[in-house]
Amino acid sequence: MILKKEFIHIFRDRITLLLVLAMPVALVLLFGFTISTDIHNASIAVLDHAKDTQSQNFIQKLSSSNYFQIVSYPSTEAEIDFQFKENNIKLAIIIPQNFESQLEKEHSATIQIIDDVSDLNIASILNNYVRSVTQDFQNEYNQHITSADAFSITTKMEYNSNMESVYMFVPGIITLIMILVTALMSSITLAREKETGTMRMLFITPVNKIHIVIGKVIPYMIISFLSTIVIIIISVFVFKMPLNGSILFLLLLCIIFMLTAASFGMLISTISTTQLDAMMITMMGLFLPTVLLSGFLFPLNSMPMIFQVLANVFPAKWFILAIKDVMIKGSGFFDVWPYLTILFGMAVVFISISLKMLDKRN
Amino acid sequence: MNSIEVDHLTKKFGDFTAVNEISFQVKEGEIFGFLGANGAGKTTAIKMMSGLLQPTSGTAIVAGYDVVTQPKLIKRNIGYMSQRFSLYNDLTVFENMQLFGTIYKIPRKELKKRIMDSLAALDMTKQANLLVHSIPLGWKQKLAFATAILHKPKIVFLDEPTSGVDPIVRREFWNLIYETASTGVTILVTTHYMDEAEYCHRISIMADGNIRLLGTPEELKQQVGVNTINDVFVEYVKH
Repeated sequence: MILKKEFIHIFRDRITLLLVLAMPVALVLLFGFTISTDIHNASIAVLDHAKDTQSQNFIQKLSSSNYFQIVSYPSTEAEIDFQFKENNIKLAIIIPQNFESQLEKEHSATIQIIDDVSDLNIASILNNYVRSVTQDFQNEYNQHITSADAFSITTKMEYNSNMESVYMFVPGIITLIMILVTALMSSITLAREKETGTMRMLFITPVNKIHIVIGKVIPYMIISFLSTIVIIIISVFVFKMPLNGSILFLLLLCIIFMLTAASFGMLISTISTTQLDAMMITMMGLFLPTVLLSGFLFPLNSMPMIFQVLANVFPAKWFILAIKDVMIKGSGFFDVWPYLTILFGMAVVFISISLKMLDKRN
Repeated sequence: MNSIEVDHLTKKFGDFTAVNEISFQVKEGEIFGFLGANGAGKTTAIKMMSGLLQPTSGTAIVAGYDVVTQPKLIKRNIGYMSQRFSLYNDLTVFENMQLFGTIYKIPRKELKKRIMDSLAALDMTKQANLLVHSIPLGWKQKLAFATAILHKPKIVFLDEPTSGVDPIVRREFWNLIYETASTGVTILVTTHYMDEAEYCHRISIMADGNIRLLGTPEELKQQVGVNTINDVFVEYVKH
């Protein structure tokens, strides 16, 4: 019944509801789309298998646009990988063999684009540039001939999946949402009952303390779980993030992290007496360290030693390591169980401390 | 028949003794006033009697159960209403009563009947589906009381139930208390209004964790040699 009551609270409080439902979508789109908008002279590589007149024309067209600067002409795909790893290029274009004859005989040809997915914004902008250059090239070609000979070029995109630091922002946002919705909301909702005196009312009833706490925290876990699913769907279908691991295992991972976040929220609520306290402590003590020390925005291995050590205390780092492995490398339980154990252990410790503190206070 | 028997009940927090070996009995159906200045130890004593806090030493038998070994059974047999209004503002009147009724495992049909009956008795049937934050404070207090006795407890603890309500509502509230006590329910009430203390069958005055005075309002006034409980209180709390 406390579970049901908490859901009623959530639905009556429209602002909170809007916040917890709209925020994940807004955040993921914000990070995904708005960072950079215009790029000039991006370094690219062109692998020309054809080496004929039309391919030369096309390369000419590419380099005469001020979008690109062709910095290398590799002769194999392995060289492209190498250039990506060295961070020399943002994009590679592969022109197929017999480009010219394909255009003449089949009136169509496929140009392959390889993106550097460590920065999705740039990748998607550059893709559009390549398309527009291709479109121009095609229109010019078609002008000189009769319509029977008109051709079209299609681009085929391929993500360079060898990169280590790819897709940082999706695990990062999932982490932030779970911290915000689960930890922040559960610490606030528990502190609110303390602030208004209703917690005393509940404690004086025969309901177990642990049931009260669980009943209050589960609705927020369900909401953040739904948000997480939305984020994953957007990531996979809008931003084409790979999902190489098992989706069920990924969700299990999220549930365990949610438990850790919720238990952190519980712990915070036991040491705070008002909603404002709870909010401030969660923001300063959990949210900021999560943003700064999880390796999400700022790479951990370039930080001073003390911060690298400190990062181990917060659950976010372990979760991000695990979720990246599962989504990108396709790892399973046997690869990431140490992270899971750490997260689960943290939850157990936080929950037992907060229950002890609850007992002491009342 | 005593419904509360407190014997040398003590609570220490470190070196500080919040409640010091208090002993008293309260009879079934009695309205017992629990007076004392802020910090005198009333709230700690009530917490121990309601099974929320374990005593350091001494015993208390509440509704026939031992506070040390049977706190859960005590919780099932008491009602509680606090000084601050403690129902949920964003739930309706009905939902609030339903929540607490469900917590005490009152069967659904029976619960609905009890809620409608007690709302009818308060003349609040029309307000059943209003959100609690939209109704006046005095009504909220009466509603909180009705909610606290929904599961038919043997004892009701009222912690400054009339703080901040107008004299008319306070009078109505005390009528509710009398009605409830007349059905055999024991009432233990704390208050800062000395005129209300006069309504109690017996009162105790606590200071520094000890019970300084205990008796009917008349007895105490005679004992101290003053005309009102207010004077008794001032006389005893200043020492």
